[in-house]
Amino acid sequence: MNVFITGAAGGLGRALANECASRGYNLFLTDVNEEGLARIKRGLERQFDVAVAVKACDLTSPESVDEMLSFIDRHRIGFDMLLNIAGLDFEGGFTRRERENIVKIVTLNDAATLRITHAILERRRPGRPFYVVFVSSLASMFPMPLKATYAASKRFLLDFAISLRQELKRQSANVLVLCPGGLATTPEAMRGIEVQGFWGKATTNPLEEVARKTLDRVLAGKGIYVPGLLNKFLSFCGKIIPRSWVAAVIRWRWENAQNKWLTGHDNI
Amino acid sequence: MKTIVITGATSGIGLETARLLARQGFNVLGVGRDEERCQRAKESIVSENPEASVTFFTADLLHQREVTRVASEIRSYLDEHCNGELHALINNAGCVRSWHMTTEEGYEHQFALNHLAGFLLTHLLFPALVKARGRVIMTGSESHKGTRMHWNDLMLRRRYNPLTAYKQSKLCNILFAKGLNELYGASGIRAYVVDPGLVNTNIGNKETGRLVSFIWSFRKRHGMPPSVPAETYAFLCRQEPAPEGLYYHRLEEKAYSRQVTSENARLLFEISKRLCGIEDYAGVSE
Repeated sequence: MNVFITGAAGGLGRALANECASRGYNLFLTDVNEEGLARIKRGLERQFDVAVAVKACDLTSPESVDEMLSFIDRHRIGFDMLLNIAGLDFEGGFTRRERENIVKIVTLNDAATLRITHAILERRRPGRPFYVVFVSSLASMFPMPLKATYAASKRFLLDFAISLRQELKRQSANVLVLCPGGLATTPEAMRGIEVQGFWGKATTNPLEEVARKTLDRVLAGKGIYVPGLLNKFLSFCGKIIPRSWVAAVIRWRWENAQNKWLTGHDNI
Repeated sequence: MKTIVITGATSGIGLETARLLARQGFNVLGVGRDEERCQRAKESIVSENPEASVTFFTADLLHQREVTRVASEIRSYLDEHCNGELHALINNAGCVRSWHMTTEEGYEHQFALNHLAGFLLTHLLFPALVKARGRVIMTGSESHKGTRMHWNDLMLRRRYNPLTAYKQSKLCNILFAKGLNELYGASGIRAYVVDPGLVNTNIGNKETGRLVSFIWSFRKRHGMPPSVPAETYAFLCRQEPAPEGLYYHRLEEKAYSRQVTSENARLLFEISKRLCGIEDYAGVSE
């Protein structure tokens, strides 16, 4: 199995790279962080008997992506699985954020993901099943004041993935969309989650377990994966409660959490 | 003046051991993660004992690149001020994690810091240790007796449990010490593990989840002050000739787990060498 992973130098991408390597899959990893890529490559090759190729790439730049693609074509690499993990968010309300940063959320989370998905689907290994994973978010289930751009960008991925799944069904390709709540990636991320209080912790799931189950489910032909019972319940609520009510509740909750988070940072 | 290196020296057992060794006339090189906390630790030692010779190095030993960097800084210091001699290395830095988190290399945090960091640092400082017929001391724990090595899933990705990961990392400490003595004892170095006992430190409250932190907040109250285990480290640094045992608690040898076998020690050595990208451990090819 040849697997292509974006955002592979940290967080969920690194956890999935680890999980894939432990299953003996060969990896092509990309990330904007070149040194981080070299380190995870080293770590994986020392732990597992797999081939790991890496190429640093800024997915928001078409030139950078083209350069990576020609690298792939020069080495005649074909793929059986694509894990679209790269994504970002900036904290703070819409008017308080930098304009370019807001645009960048959509450029990376959506536009770049489309670009890569199209390119890698063209580089499928012929005669084999193919698997695609998109990382949406629990945030895609609700309109989210103060995380408006992020949540909407993830909603885009959710709807896109569900549609693409139908389009690719007859081409023996399965598309899964992952909608996690919080993920325990780093001590810093956990501190960010702690300030959200009870709900932050309760919607957080173990990273290595989410990575393992994501692979299990996409291979089993599943279409959507919401980790954790509480998250499944919350996403169900998102479907039945009027969206304007949900938005009002979320604004109240995030305002408290973000104030704590931001003032916490000012004090350091 | 004999020089010792101690990691995790800005709080808890590390700080008290650094303080005691400085008082007993050792030149103490401490390693800590945070520059400001290193500064505070140094001030606290010197304010109590103006004669103390203490230098701090800043490094986050979770990352192998940081271990390598600080090791070369320490080696330059030793070459310049100590005739290239290191009398003791105390691999004390450690952590507890409620969640399975990984380093840049994709290694689980407790395995990476509690075991691999010390393994790599010992390798990088080995020539200086040999020159002084030095000692390597690990901070172990009685809890190592409650587990075995999970050879097929060392990083515990399948069924992560903070306590299992912690216990296994402490078992690694003893296996590493045993391996050092058996494979490299001929070079004149000697390795030990100290069981500090239950000590009132904040290890269970740093970067852990609420549950672990909550439990530890109660448990640590029954612990002794960290100045008590510091005596055992000082004993192992000072005693001449070097003590023969492996595992010490309150200045005395203690029985360790049956899992501590030569076979396991060698296997861990091989795997750790690979995980650190080391060909010739201690500069010696086998």
